[in-house]
Amino acid sequence: MFLQIFYANIALILILIGLYCIASKRNLLKIIIGIEIITVSVNLNILAMGLREAEYVDPLAQEMTIISIAIGAAVAAIALCILLNVFRHYKTLDTRKLKRLRW
Amino acid sequence: MYALFPIIVLLGSGLSIPLISMIFRKLGKEKIRDIWAVLAFALSTAYFAYIILYEKLPISYKIELEPSWASIGIKIDAFSAYMSLIFSFLGLVVSIYSIGYMESETGLDEYYTLLLTLVAGMIGVTIVNDLFTLYVLWELMCVSSYTLVSFRKHRWEAVEAGFKYLVMSTIGSLIALYSISLLYGIAGTLEFSKLGEIILSNTNSIPKDTIYFIIAMVIAGFGVTAAIVPFHTWLPDAHPAAPSSISAMLSGVVIKTGAFAIFKILFTVFYPTHFGYGGILILFGLLTMTVANVMVIPQRDIKRFLAYSSIANMGYIMLGLGVATYIAYNYSARLDIVSLALLGSLFHILNHAIGKGLLFLGAGCFIHEAKTRDLAKLEGIGVKMPFSALSFSIGLLNLAGIPPLSGFWSKFFIIMAMLAFLEDPFLYVSTIIFVLNIFVAAGYYIWLLQRISLKKPSEILSKVTETKLSMLIPILVLASLCILITIFLDPVLKVIAEPVNVLVGTTISNIKTNLILGGGV
Repeated sequence: MFLQIFYANIALILILIGLYCIASKRNLLKIIIGIEIITVSVNLNILAMGLREAEYVDPLAQEMTIISIAIGAAVAAIALCILLNVFRHYKTLDTRKLKRLRW
Repeated sequence: MYALFPIIVLLGSGLSIPLISMIFRKLGKEKIRDIWAVLAFALSTAYFAYIILYEKLPISYKIELEPSWASIGIKIDAFSAYMSLIFSFLGLVVSIYSIGYMESETGLDEYYTLLLTLVAGMIGVTIVNDLFTLYVLWELMCVSSYTLVSFRKHRWEAVEAGFKYLVMSTIGSLIALYSISLLYGIAGTLEFSKLGEIILSNTNSIPKDTIYFIIAMVIAGFGVTAAIVPFHTWLPDAHPAAPSSISAMLSGVVIKTGAFAIFKILFTVFYPTHFGYGGILILFGLLTMTVANVMVIPQRDIKRFLAYSSIANMGYIMLGLGVATYIAYNYSARLDIVSLALLGSLFHILNHAIGKGLLFLGAGCFIHEAKTRDLAKLEGIGVKMPFSALSFSIGLLNLAGIPPLSGFWSKFFIIMAMLAFLEDPFLYVSTIIFVLNIFVAAGYYIWLLQRISLKKPSEILSKVTETKLSMLIPILVLASLCILITIFLDPVLKVIAEPVNVLVGTTISNIKTNLILGGGV
């Protein structure tokens, strides 16, 4: 039980770090890294929730984590594709230059 | 394999499109690829129409795997069949429209593949029986729609809007997954049929704050796609940047999938009779519609205008859900009123899917012919394109809620449900705000109708002619559907009463539609 709470709290802290990263960084690549941090921490949370007792882990949690990692990779691939196109149009990855869309 | 039929058809035809296209390009018949996509949508639409009319629901199917925890369940109940019918029908209409509309674009193989996987993901979300599979198919839908929004990658607008949509929607999905993982930690399983019971029986051992935290996460996570107001900012950028056919999909059905997920999770996992989250949903609904209705007025871009009015309509749907859950918690004896509010909400999903699909496709016709999105330049285009403008006007009148049309009845049901508890000050004030919003919305829809159809065309539009037939047919079909639903209101409401019964979970089939309508139609 102690391990479960420990890992769940670490996952929560990591999610907050990821959100902070997305909110504060001005580089698009760093925003994608922020998304990846959240993905990893949610996966960690699933694993932590799979801990039932000492030395027993629910296999469903591991299955879900593997699928979730694959989905995260797909999303990251799409994000990087769009990032390449952003760079082609703007010649920069600075979010302050990407403010033509308003309201 | 019976219950899996629509997903297999859509995914299979989607993944085989590059092959089909390669073969028929050598023969010089590229259009076969478009017909292939249309056929897949037609098959899936026919399947859902058939099971709604003739089959006994729910249909369940289980993919048995060796360790029993890995088995995946599929369950098509009346609610999922109803939503899936809307999704695949709009997919059918949009794919027919795309044959003409996307002719001059490149990369059409990817376009049709993504359109098919998008609808496959949405149908998957509605028919799965456990929360994690729901998340997987949700991401299938999301990844397809990110790519479709930034489909015209040679334009800065599409790329920027696509990136914004991707970041916001991914964070939303991850928050939803976080809430799913917490639910898994509490209950040890993620099957819909077991979750509700487990949570209800453990309300003493689980702190109530945890449950409300999870509910907030679910609403916030899926609410990003449902465009509830604090999380709506991706929508007005993504809709204008995408091709018009995709805007119709996004506005007509993708945001409804978010609403579906919230409806389904709230009603099957957190029973609204035991957890009081209705008030906050009503507040969210009112905030959504008020902000969106105010923001519509300064817009001078026709697609941005329609995008904001989509957000307002999501506000109506959320308000219907909120009223239903609020009444279920506070006045749990009046389940008939709960059903009435849900009926209005689900009926509005249908009306808005058809109406807003029609409006975006019609706007696509105008943009295709006039090559501009500026409302000032599009003034009076209805004189040059009479059939498109007539359909467009019917869509506007439908969404404005002009009384005989079906858009009026869905809002009327929600208002009637709220008026049943006038002694409750909260519902009283909400009703006033809701009615004011409806009047503002009707005002700007009529204003748009007058700008498009009744003004004299300017010099810029002198060369514009009526659009081609393959784009006109889908619009006319949708416009006639708006009228047909109005004429056959009673049978349609009987179909919608089934999903309402599934949600409310009781067998009140006596939602007396005849009594409510008072023989007015």
